[in-house]
Amino acid sequence: LLQIRKNSDEGAAPPDWRRIIPFFLAAALIPSAGPAHAQDRQGSITPDEIKQMTLEELMEIEVTLVSRQPERISDAASAIQVITAEDIRRSGAVTLPEALRLASNLQVARVDARQWAITARGLNQTLANKLLVMIDGRTVYTPLYAGVFWDVQHIILDNIERIEVVSGPGGTLWGTNAVNGVINIVTKEAARTQGLFLEGGAGTLLKGFASARYGGSIGGRGHYRVYGQRMDHYSSDLPGGGDARDAWEMIRGGMRSDWGLGDYGTLTVQGDIQAGEVEQPAPAPGPVEVNGQFLQARWSLDMDGGSHIQAKAYFDRTWRDIPGTFQEDLRTWDFDFSHRIPLGGRNILTWGTGYRYMQDDVENGTALAFLPARKDLQLVSAFLQDEIILVPDRIRLAVGSKFEHNDYSEFEVMPSARLSWTPTPSHTIWSSLSRAVRSPSRIDVEFFVPTPPVPDTFQRLEGGPGFDSEKLTAFDLGYRVMPWKILSLSLAGFAHRYDDLRILEQADSTRFRFVNGAEGEVYGLELSGHLQAAPWWRLRGGYTFLYTDIREMPGLDEFTQPGSQGNDPGYQLLVQSYLELPWRIEINGAARLVDELPDPTVPAYFALDLGAAWRHRGLEVTLTGKNLTNRRHPEFGPDPGRKEIPRSVRGRVAWRW
Amino acid sequence: MAMVRIRPRRRSATVLAVLSALLFLVPRTEAIPEKEYQVKAAFLFNFAQFVQWPDSLFPDKDSPLVVGILGEDPFDSYLDEVVRGEKVNGRPIEVVRYRSVGQVKNCHILYIGASEERRVAEVLKALGGRQVLTVGESDLFPRKGGMVSMVNRQGRIRLSVNLQAIKSSELGVSSKLLQLAEIVPPEGG
Repeated sequence: LLQIRKNSDEGAAPPDWRRIIPFFLAAALIPSAGPAHAQDRQGSITPDEIKQMTLEELMEIEVTLVSRQPERISDAASAIQVITAEDIRRSGAVTLPEALRLASNLQVARVDARQWAITARGLNQTLANKLLVMIDGRTVYTPLYAGVFWDVQHIILDNIERIEVVSGPGGTLWGTNAVNGVINIVTKEAARTQGLFLEGGAGTLLKGFASARYGGSIGGRGHYRVYGQRMDHYSSDLPGGGDARDAWEMIRGGMRSDWGLGDYGTLTVQGDIQAGEVEQPAPAPGPVEVNGQFLQARWSLDMDGGSHIQAKAYFDRTWRDIPGTFQEDLRTWDFDFSHRIPLGGRNILTWGTGYRYMQDDVENGTALAFLPARKDLQLVSAFLQDEIILVPDRIRLAVGSKFEHNDYSEFEVMPSARLSWTPTPSHTIWSSLSRAVRSPSRIDVEFFVPTPPVPDTFQRLEGGPGFDSEKLTAFDLGYRVMPWKILSLSLAGFAHRYDDLRILEQADSTRFRFVNGAEGEVYGLELSGHLQAAPWWRLRGGYTFLYTDIREMPGLDEFTQPGSQGNDPGYQLLVQSYLELPWRIEINGAARLVDELPDPTVPAYFALDLGAAWRHRGLEVTLTGKNLTNRRHPEFGPDPGRKEIPRSVRGRVAWRW
Repeated sequence: MAMVRIRPRRRSATVLAVLSALLFLVPRTEAIPEKEYQVKAAFLFNFAQFVQWPDSLFPDKDSPLVVGILGEDPFDSYLDEVVRGEKVNGRPIEVVRYRSVGQVKNCHILYIGASEERRVAEVLKALGGRQVLTVGESDLFPRKGGMVSMVNRQGRIRLSVNLQAIKSSELGVSSKLLQLAEIVPPEGG
């Protein structure tokens, strides 16, 4: 829009087609390699940084196409993709998993109306357990299966500042579960959401939603926002058509406030409450009910000499009742502290420590059980990392490790070394070697099917006594380049070696249990890029290739379910296009091509989303069609029984004062 | 009636009053400005330092230096954050939003945004001979009599100035700033 505005200094100047055609050609050639996104288009500079700059420096800032210069070496030397608020807005996404589809280094499959299988670097499952997801630093996975209940991670997308998606391990900084990737969702400061915001919409799969937000200030030192949202979804489809009876609705409210404490740093306090209901098909006795609350405080202080400290504490409660199956009440208390200290100009030392206490209380049904029903879990951790500037502005090395103690596998060490070399400002070559672990969760050790006592003649699962962590050793090699100002590309190749992966072992004729019984390798390539094809046309996207070879370890009497280690496409391709037309009209499109999933087989699919938006002052009207190219398609799960995602249309109106 | 939009944080915390007052205020645009507008906000802040206004333009010696935004505001709160806590010759800097040129009273730098670009001539005429540094963002702006324009050229911001307009305003514009700018002859001149 802004670029159009500039174009239209003298009225709406028509595009100069002679200049544009070469870009079409370039764009047509690139997709074979994967067109695309690179890094943060916004490349925000903080007000404090920018006002220190001289006029000359300001004139040198590239404003139309920007690669976000990563500040931390952990970003510089990793396969990071950033989804900006603008990318989310353009995509017409209203739920978090929809927004995550914009990161081409994630495998995102919608299982049914409310469940998603999301991972990075493969081994995807509905209960995917090797991805760490944080919202403003708050971990949102459940210790039940070390994965994420995506249906309750509802968030007003307009509150999101950016989503950082790192594929590959992040255990050194983030700890257990940051095995295949880390998703870090950062919401906007309250000062950035001042005034009134209203949005509402309806559609054929997304039934309807409405959000309201108001942001104000208190005494000139603090800002706040309060918000609420209700969202209703229709059911997904059964394979031949027909209602899968998994319609759901969520209601959420919350607040965030940010306070400047002068010499005493800044304080952020935020919290949400939410509740929802999910229809279940017969014979389930009733709908799934969920609710949750959290309250978090985060304090940070910048000190003389560039050192920075941060302390954070939160309480989070989630409750889920699946009638006829089980009920879970989970309470988490988490405290952590980190300190970053520049030492002597060549070293930046970061250390931190954390403590988490989880109280997991399950009410078991007759079909399955977690035993003991109530479990208190503690996680104690500490990390230390040194970033060493070997050659100023050129070569940086970061070495460090996380040390963690959990109740199942006890001590874990997650070291890493990352090296980045920037021969010229437009090229970065990086590499890393790291170890990460997925520590045992309740499902690995304490899961029983059916609920004991069971007669000896019945086949049954009896947990996984002695189940140890799943381990990953990862090697990454990457290259980021901006060959021209209009194009940036990022290529990451990786080799993952897994040990002690979970399989189901047959102990005797009727008894099964979980053991650490599989090992193997996953190799892949992640290409992403960003092309400003014309001032009014931008493309981003990526191509991810995966090769998976996971096998049972020798000498085990194994019994493996299909897809038990995950089910991944050999490749996936994403292209997103943002087109600016005169009169403040935008045409936005996203196309995804996802290869067949092998086991169980899910056919390859192509999905095209197209949207048109009109913006005038604070008003924005959007019409989006999703999955336009097919009537319905499955994305995950075994046939029969799996659900399909229908073609859908939705409209949205948003208004800002 | 509150027609002038001051920073939200200065507003009363009483939500009801705010909501009703909001009906009269200029709508906000994007929550996060594009990078282009982050840089332009920093230029506006720099202009406050590189231009001298006579003391007679300030009611008293602690009066703020006012940066006005006429029409649609592309900066959101970013400009406010850039100038927050900053002082120029002991004066704080205040950002004020105007809906129409008629509201522009005690203003030192006036950003005339893209939404007002078509009416530049009328706006400049309405300002008369007042000592306001007028800032636009198109190539045409200085040709039409505006003083400084922040123009996007191949992805970088360049300054383009109408020296004659600056001279006739009798504002003291630093030579440092003029050295970095392109000098544009006024239309017909």
